[in-house]
Formats: sequence, C-alpha cells, structure tokens
Amino acid sequence: MTTLAQPSQPVQSRASRQRELWKRVRKTWPGYLFISPAGLLITVFSYIAIIFSLYISFYQYDIISEARPFEGLENYTRALNDKLVRISFRNTFIYVIVIVPSITIISLLLAVLGNQVRRGRALFRTVFFIPTITPIVVTSMLWVWLYEPTGGINKLLELVNIEGPNWLFNPSTALPAIMIMTIWGAVGYYMIIFLAGLAEIPEVFYEAAKVDGAGRWHTFWSITIPLLRNSLIFAFVTLTIAAFQVFTQVFIMTQGGPMNSTQTVQMVVYHYAFQRFQMGYASAISWMLFGVIFFFSALQLKLFISRELY
Amino acid sequence: MARTLSSPGSGQRDQNRLLLIATRRSFTLIVYALLIALAFSMIFPYLWMLANSFKSRTDFFTNPYSVIPMPPTLSTYYDALTIGRMGVYLGNSILYAAVVLIVQLFIDSLAAYSFARVDFPGRETLFLAVLATLMLPGSVTLIPTFLIAHGLGLTNTFTGVVLPGFAGAFGIFLLRQFFLNIPRELEDAARIDGSGFFGTYWRIMLPLAKPAMVTLGVFIFLNEWSSFVWPLIILSDWKKYPVTVGIALFRDVNQINWPAVFAGSTIVSFPIVILFVLAQEYIIGGISLSGLKG
Repeated sequence: MTTLAQPSQPVQSRASRQRELWKRVRKTWPGYLFISPAGLLITVFSYIAIIFSLYISFYQYDIISEARPFEGLENYTRALNDKLVRISFRNTFIYVIVIVPSITIISLLLAVLGNQVRRGRALFRTVFFIPTITPIVVTSMLWVWLYEPTGGINKLLELVNIEGPNWLFNPSTALPAIMIMTIWGAVGYYMIIFLAGLAEIPEVFYEAAKVDGAGRWHTFWSITIPLLRNSLIFAFVTLTIAAFQVFTQVFIMTQGGPMNSTQTVQMVVYHYAFQRFQMGYASAISWMLFGVIFFFSALQLKLFISRELY
Repeated sequence: MARTLSSPGSGQRDQNRLLLIATRRSFTLIVYALLIALAFSMIFPYLWMLANSFKSRTDFFTNPYSVIPMPPTLSTYYDALTIGRMGVYLGNSILYAAVVLIVQLFIDSLAAYSFARVDFPGRETLFLAVLATLMLPGSVTLIPTFLIAHGLGLTNTFTGVVLPGFAGAFGIFLLRQFFLNIPRELEDAARIDGSGFFGTYWRIMLPLAKPAMVTLGVFIFLNEWSSFVWPLIILSDWKKYPVTVGIALFRDVNQINWPAVFAGSTIVSFPIVILFVLAQEYIIGGISLSGLKG
C-alpha cells in the first residue's frame, strides 16, 4: 500500500504528493460520479454553449445552409449600424433606468411600511406576492385587456377626469405601459427580500436611535438603509441583470411595436435568431448585451463595495 | 430634544403627548390606507380575470368590470378546452414540470451532497465553476442552447423541452448550504455501519434535507410552469406546447373572445394558486434566503 508518505514530513517529494492525491482520489471517486450528471449538463448548456455562441458570432451562421463563412467582426460592426439594434438598446436602457430604481424604492418603502403595521402583515405580504407567482404570460395578457382604450386603467383615470391614451398602440405610451406593469408585478417579490433583511436588523439599533431622539426619517437613513446593504445590493444587481433581458412582457403585449417603440435587445435577438435565422448575427447582438450587463453589474458591485466601510 | 418623562400636572406636556399619539395614529392610518389600496390593485386584475372567465360574451361586453357574472356560464371553459386546446397544454405542462422537478431534484441533490461532504480533489474549483454559471445571462446561452439541442435532434421533442432544466446551479448551491449545516456525526454513524457514499446520501442526508428539497422543488415547479421562451423556441407542434405558449397562441387567434381567454388564463394559474396556498411558507422562506445570501 502507498502509506509511506508521512503527514508530518515538512517537505514532501513530488512523487509522494502525487501518491497522496491518488490515494484521495481512490477513496473519494464516487464524488466525481455524483457530480457528473450535473457537471455534464452544466458543461454542455453553459460552458460549451457560451463558447459556441462567441464562436458563431464571428460567422455567418444559419441552421439551414451548410455554407458558414467566417466574417470576423462583421456581425458586430453591422450591429452598431443597425437601426433596429440601436433603437432596441435605447429602449432597453430607458427601461432599465426607470424600473430598477422604481422597483427598489417602492418595494423598500412597502417593506418598511408593512413592517410598521401589526395586523394583517402576513396578509399584505401574500397579496402583494400574487403577481409574482402568476406566470408572466398570464399577467401580460390581463394587462393588455386593462390597457384597452376603454379598459380598466382608463376607467380609473376617468374617475379623476383624465382622458387616458390608447396605451399599447401609442408609441409614446407603450413602453411606459409595459414598465408600469412590470413595476407593479415585481414589487411584491422584492418586498419579501427587504422584509427578510429588516428582520435581521437587531432591535437594539432602533432602541438606541430612540434614546438618542432620532426621528423616523433619520432612523431610516442612518440605520435601516446601511443595515439593509446586502438586500439592497442583491435587489439592485439581480433586477438590473433581469431588466436588461426583458422579453416576455413585450412579446405578449406589443411584439415590439408600435413603430418599434418597445423593441428591446432580447426582442431583436429573438427576431434575428428565430424569425430570420441569422444565428451568428443574433449571437453578436447578445454578446453586446452581455457586455453591457457585465459592465453595469461590475460597476454596481464596485460602487456598493467601496462604500462598505461607511 | 429632552426626553419627555411625563410628569402629571404639566398641561403643556400632556398636550404634546396627545399630539404625538395623534400623529402616530394618523400615520398608521395613512400606512394602512396605502397598503390596502395597493393590495386592491394587486388583487383586482386577477379577480376580474376570474369573474370574466365565467361571463357570457354579451355579459362581458356590457359589464366587463363587474365581479359577479350574470348569469355565470361554463361555456367559456368549454371553449378554452376545445377551441383553445387548453386540456392538451395542461397535460403537457404537468408532464414537463413533473419530469424536470423529479430529475433536477435528484441531480442537484446528488451533486450538492458530493460538494458538501465528499472530499475529492478539485472540489472547490469545480464548485466555483458551477457557481460561475449563475452569472451567465440567459440571453447569451439561448441561441447556442437551441443549436446544441438542434444538433442532438431534440427540436420539437419532449426531451428537448426538459433536458436543459435537468440541472441547476442555484439548486446545487442551495442544497449544498443545507447539507453543510447537517451535523457530521449523523453520517459518521452510518459510515461506520458500512454505508457507502451513496447509501449515506440516500438514507441519511436526503431525508434530513426535506425542507430544503421542498423549497427547491417548489421553485423548480414554478419556474418550469411559467417558462415561456424556451418551449416557444424549441417546439413547433402545438400538440407539445405547455400552457404558457398555448394560452398566448389562443389569444393570438381569438382576440375577441376575451372570456374564453380568461378561462384559459384561469386554468394556467390554478395549479400555481394551489401550490402557493400549500407551500407559501416555503416560497417566502426561500426568497428571503436568497436575498440574505446576496
């Protein structure tokens, strides 16, 4: 047996280290077996997929024709000059810039307010959560109906004497309409995240603030916000990543119209990849989106972490 | 500000306290009013959906916003199930969700157990490689995943729909955390009794991990049930559509028959509502956890 290597020996020879390793492998080989199904799937559908995606973004690639010429950066330069791509990035940026802070702030306020009431807290939590668990396809269709010219939203606006627009058919209101629905649907989820964060804040902090005579507002800013840091980072980063990839709502509610006013990057990727079968070109666009997402996530993490000491 | 230790007899102070109580009360009232108004905005659309799903078309066109159908009808559900083929889609969705649920729970928990307890060389690196995939936006992997499935001949097949969902980095992460917190003594006893790694996993760890498995299971089910983009892309035959793609198609060809569309939507949402009622604590617990970990 290979038990010659002494653990106490300060410098092990390379050969004995290898023997040690081999011994460990022989003892723990089922470990590899157990991770292999997951490992295989993750390798194929994440690692190979992403390399493949990068590879074809330099080719003219469709699933029908056999000829797949190398194009270099052609797909990327084409995307930069593609009007549809430009519009979609513009819309997506607007969408992200509006909904990420809106959802964060509203759900934070809901959590803080919900935390103040004693009766019915669980009930509110449940109700606010309904839109989150309902499939987005169903909610989107429901809102198509609510956004009709004489639909529920405009009926509500009528009560306060505002004449509502034809939300989804007007280029200036279609994107805001989708954003409103998305905000409405997501606040319940993030409220739960923040409620969990609030529950982690020790009561003594609030008692100390009370003793110091700090008001509600001051307490909120100097205790609640800093101590919710983890939840806030999580909400902000995951929301940003998800918002950049918005697709289903748009697909169901407007199909990118009217006049491309709701085209988002993911819609355009879908359009080129699965309606025009330009897989290479669509991959290049998706990599540009990945770059943007990566940049903003890294930026956010850096900003948040540099304030850690505060 | 000096703290007010109320001393009886000081009228000014009593008045201040009353004022304070009054503002606090009105603050609470405003909070309640706001929360209730928002709660109504969250419930009402779905209530309308449910109510309208029982309305005849004439009733719907005359009173679209009443919550009581006059008279209630089931013909909408009949339409949804026949013209809308919701029954077929429902069967498909149940099959997809059940298969993904069972297979992913098994594959994830097996990997998670291995990462938590089997000390094989390279474990940390491999676990990091799994975690790193959580950062990948689905938008980038969508096209290559389709092309890989296409290459494997899985387009428009049941296998094609479910296969990419058979393992999840999030599930492995979640279950590994849970396994790490289980005291080692429990499995040491089993090891002494001669159980191998798999026996320990199957007989000791899995039963202990039940709460985490249920939480993850609920999430896998919800995800699979709501999934839209992947089945939309991989399938071309309506006979294989899940409810999400099916209802979207139904609305596309049936724009004027809102009540039947709402009946279909209710059918899509119904299993979710049941699951939510049964497993609410698990769902909320799981979401809370993910935020705290972040």
